[in-house]
Amino acid sequence: MKIPSKPTILALAIILATPLAANPARDAIINALKQQAGVSSFSAEEGKALFLATHSGGKPETPSCTTCHGTNLKAGGKTRAGKPIEPMAVSVNPQRYTDPAKVEKWFRRNCNSVLGRECTPLEKGNILAYLSSL
Amino acid sequence: MPVTYAESAPRRRSKSIPVWDAFVRLFHWSLVLSTGAALLTGLWLGASWFTLHLIGGTLAVALVTSRIFWGFWGSSFARFAAFVVGPRRLAEHLCELAEGRAGRHIGHNPPGGWMILALLGTILVIGLSGVVALGGTLKTGPLAVAVDYATGALAQDLHGALAWALTGLIVLHVAGAVFESLRTGENLPRAMITGTKELRDEAAELPPRPARTRPALVAGLTAGAVVLGAASTLAVRQFPVPGAPIPPARFDRLYADECSACHIAYHPSLLPPESWGRLMATLGDHFGEDASLDPASTRAIAEWLTVAAARPTDTKPAREFARVDPAAPFTITKTPFWQETHAAISEATFSRKPIYGKFNCGACHQDAESGWFYPGNIDIPDTPKENSR
Ligand code: HEC
Ligand code: HEC
Ligand code: HEC
Repeated sequence: MKIPSKPTILALAIILATPLAANPARDAIINALKQQAGVSSFSAEEGKALFLATHSGGKPETPSCTTCHGTNLKAGGKTRAGKPIEPMAVSVNPQRYTDPAKVEKWFRRNCNSVLGRECTPLEKGNILAYLSSL
Repeated sequence: MPVTYAESAPRRRSKSIPVWDAFVRLFHWSLVLSTGAALLTGLWLGASWFTLHLIGGTLAVALVTSRIFWGFWGSSFARFAAFVVGPRRLAEHLCELAEGRAGRHIGHNPPGGWMILALLGTILVIGLSGVVALGGTLKTGPLAVAVDYATGALAQDLHGALAWALTGLIVLHVAGAVFESLRTGENLPRAMITGTKELRDEAAELPPRPARTRPALVAGLTAGAVVLGAASTLAVRQFPVPGAPIPPARFDRLYADECSACHIAYHPSLLPPESWGRLMATLGDHFGEDASLDPASTRAIAEWLTVAAARPTDTKPAREFARVDPAAPFTITKTPFWQETHAAISEATFSRKPIYGKFNCGACHQDAESGWFYPGNIDIPDTPKENSR
């Protein structure tokens, strides 16, 4: 096997050392949300509270985000039909929150189901900050 | 013609004579088992016993076929000519019975003989109607490509009605054997095991003239019939089944991706086109969840679904679920047929892991995604023991 060249090792080291949120596509999604929300940073703490809370405004079948995603976000969840859902934590599932259309679609659906309304850009950003910090 | 048994000098001690040859005895008890299994699984146990039902039924028909050949070329007492009497003789015997002066028969007595014909005939017709039903409703067996669903459903009704009739005949047959055993003081069921009956001194029938048995001919004819049935079943598989559901591999990609996020991508043949149209118009409130999509995807999926559902799919689910509940026009689990077929399953079963809900067809139907829902592929899963989170 060929020993990797110095620049490759350097690049790997940078990738491994950077915070997990540093994926260009995900950054773009989060930055767009920052602009919409008019804030310079999001609060993972508030995102956590929203994600783990039990709500009453939405559909009775889905009182919480954890109904489907589970409480251990590094493990998978499942839909109401028992279909497995991949883990939500970026640390174990780096593909997460990199496709803006997918993120938008599921925020719209899931916030409507759980809260009975769409989530605000601030709420979305807080949640993504929380899920990226795990 | 009953002939008085006036052999040599009268003897007190009874002697036994062979009546039921090995073939007849083996046939009889194998038929009891196979017909019993087919009736039990068909009339009382559910569709999940379907494979055993097919095995029992096929075996019974094969046995009856060989018995019919044996009725022409078998041993003396086994021949139809030896036990099927005309209507006049039958009436005479019944009169004699009523008056208490009926004689004893070494082989089948007149009503017994007719019962044998009725049993064999009924089993044969049940088998044939079963093959028509199988071909039409489940698109399997030798008639898979030849019968449409409507014809198959009619044949299935006949199949079921005749199964009840056969059950009645069996009860009469057993009652007759018990009655005759008591009347003549001879254990007839035992004779069907040992093969021998008493040769008494009193008035009795002479055994029919020994006939030349042709076991090789009977075996050959039976084997021929079995091979013909099996070969046609296999040969038919080479032909495309008219009205087969489109395979999931040919689903529209967008449909397959978007509509399988929360549950299986239901086969489009499971609901009529109008139902899909209405479902797609209300994705924002989809069975207690928001399943909305962008307008372009919604339109594309709705179009594909309505076209795919309009294909003339001739399977049982496609035909039966076409009758929807007007109050829930796009809920498969609210259709009258779904409700009837799943009535025996408790709510608790549906809500437990790993089933989670009625709409999770794939939990119990291994072939749910294909749209077939073949009864041999049903298995209600047990609750998993580990990781009860
Ligand atoms: C009814 C079940 C259910 C509930 C409740 C639910 N989700 Fe989801 N969520 C899903 C499914 C299914 C997916 C898509 C599958 C996947 O991405 O693995 C998904 C995907 C997502 C995604 C997109 C992930 C990505 O990779 O882009 C986000 C973000 C999300 N959910 C957030 C939430 C939030 C926030 C809540 C609570 C307000 C919530 N979900 C509640 C089922 C649910
Ligand atoms: C809890 C397990 C379970 C679930 C979930 C389930 N089924 Fe069934 N289904 C059965 C059983 C068991 C039978 C056989 C009933 C009987 O004995 O006649 C059956 C029978 C059927 C039949 C008739 C098969 C035949 O040829 O007679 C169809 C069609 C069918 N189910 C469709 C569905 C569809 C569509 C769904 C999802 C919307 C579904 N089932 C969900 C257990 C289930
Ligand atoms: C966000 C999750 C979600 C998505 C996405 C989704 N569904 Fe559903 N669907 C459900 C749930 C949950 C149920 C059943 C709820 C119940 O019966 O308790 C359901 C039920 C159904 C049923 C009725 C099954 C029955 O009970 O008879 C049909 C048909 C259906 N979905 C079609 C679709 C189609 C077509 C799509 C794609 C446009 C789709 N679904 C996308 C969640 C979803």
